[in-house]
Amino acid sequence: MRLRIAEITVLSPGIRKFTLEPLAGLLPAAGAGAHLVFDIPGATRVHKNAYSLIGGPQARTQYEIIVRRVEPSRGGSAWLHEHARIGDILEAKTPQNLFPLAHLAKKHLLLSAGIGITPFLAFARVMRTPFEWHHCSRAEDSAAFAALLPPGPQVTLHTSRNTLNLAAVLGTQPLGTHLYVCGPELFNETVQTMARALGWPESKIHTESFASAAGGAPFIVHLARSGQRLEVAADQTLLEAIEAAGIAAPYLCRGGACGACELPLLQGTPEHRDHVLSPEQRAANKSLMVCVSRARTPDLVLDF
Amino acid sequence: MNKSRPIYAPFQFDPSGARHLLVTDQPDPPADLNTNVQTLTARTHTADAILAFLPPHLATQTTGLRLYAIGSEAFVWDVNAIALAAGMGAGEVHLTRAGPLIRRVYCTHCQTMADDVATTITQCPGCGATLEVRDHFSRHHRAFMGVQVDAEAPGEIPAPEGFRS
Ligand code: FES
Repeated sequence: MRLRIAEITVLSPGIRKFTLEPLAGLLPAAGAGAHLVFDIPGATRVHKNAYSLIGGPQARTQYEIIVRRVEPSRGGSAWLHEHARIGDILEAKTPQNLFPLAHLAKKHLLLSAGIGITPFLAFARVMRTPFEWHHCSRAEDSAAFAALLPPGPQVTLHTSRNTLNLAAVLGTQPLGTHLYVCGPELFNETVQTMARALGWPESKIHTESFASAAGGAPFIVHLARSGQRLEVAADQTLLEAIEAAGIAAPYLCRGGACGACELPLLQGTPEHRDHVLSPEQRAANKSLMVCVSRARTPDLVLDF
Repeated sequence: MNKSRPIYAPFQFDPSGARHLLVTDQPDPPADLNTNVQTLTARTHTADAILAFLPPHLATQTTGLRLYAIGSEAFVWDVNAIALAAGMGAGEVHLTRAGPLIRRVYCTHCQTMADDVATTITQCPGCGATLEVRDHFSRHHRAFMGVQVDAEAPGEIPAPEGFRS
């Protein structure tokens, strides 16, 4: 699917909104929580980055995404910030929704931080069930986020001056509340750990993390079936390295959340960074999610 | 094994919960019960009293509660329905089958429910049909299906037996 950049809005020095339109016809409908994976040109290779659609009244004629320039940048967001111009054409996959609202919920509790605001902007537009939304922001971005957040007593913007009291918020939700968490890895971990400690069942905790996945040490991967040896660079994911070699590997979320990219492992020890495998499955050392996970050993051998 | 039969785990305390409520239509709760568990048993409450107590009580509760229901199939599924209506879901409600092997039977001919049926052949209190109690448990009706036995050959009625599960 090809999309043209119709508008670029600077929301803060590090945050921009992109409005995208189809070259012809209507866009595929995308539910609240859906994201788009783009092919973004880079100096040495194409980056695939996932961005949540923030929804909006013109959802069939325009998609809107918000992009933070990630430091150190993995390429995709830096290109969008520095090189993208109105009229540029981007290649994208049809939107996927791995972060839908739970229909049986009596109430939705949304906890976001930083650029994790984006899927919830789409949620808030379609919400018919009561909800409560707490968004945490660094001081320098708070004005940009304040302008994006919908008005109303159910939405609170937290900065260093009124920090979010997680235990109080998570400890007082009526039965039937579903929790959605979206933000940087540490935020997601902190919220989920606190929720579990307060007795939240897994079935009511929903999370999405787009690996702004800081890379890691480079390593080598051997693909046993095709006999290929690939180098995974420090700022590249294993999935990107496989794709760069011209091999199509399965994926959906590219964020370690859906399990679509699981590949069987023959040798080596992965550094698991996904949210899919259980501790037992990790211990079994039989597979890994190649969209986010890296290697603890110098080499990995995949049955792929 | 009949797939339409729910499978029940033996009672087990669920340490992932922050607060715990156990209700049973049996006189005694499980032995060695964790003292943090609030319990309502048949010694102090009838099953109907427990079922009436739950909806307003759950409306005041917060996420983190675990609800355990122990007893007849009819009782635990009634509790489950109340818990679902209150917004509880997977991982928050635990059902355990206990007590005599009796069933709630739904007459497929006149829709009457009969509680505490103890034998495979029973007479429907609604239409008087002689029903064979199937092993099929309907989660929708929260009861076992009862189908007329002698519909095709009147008078041919197998001997009633007790339930084995
Ligand atoms: S693509 Fe979803 S877990 Fe890797």
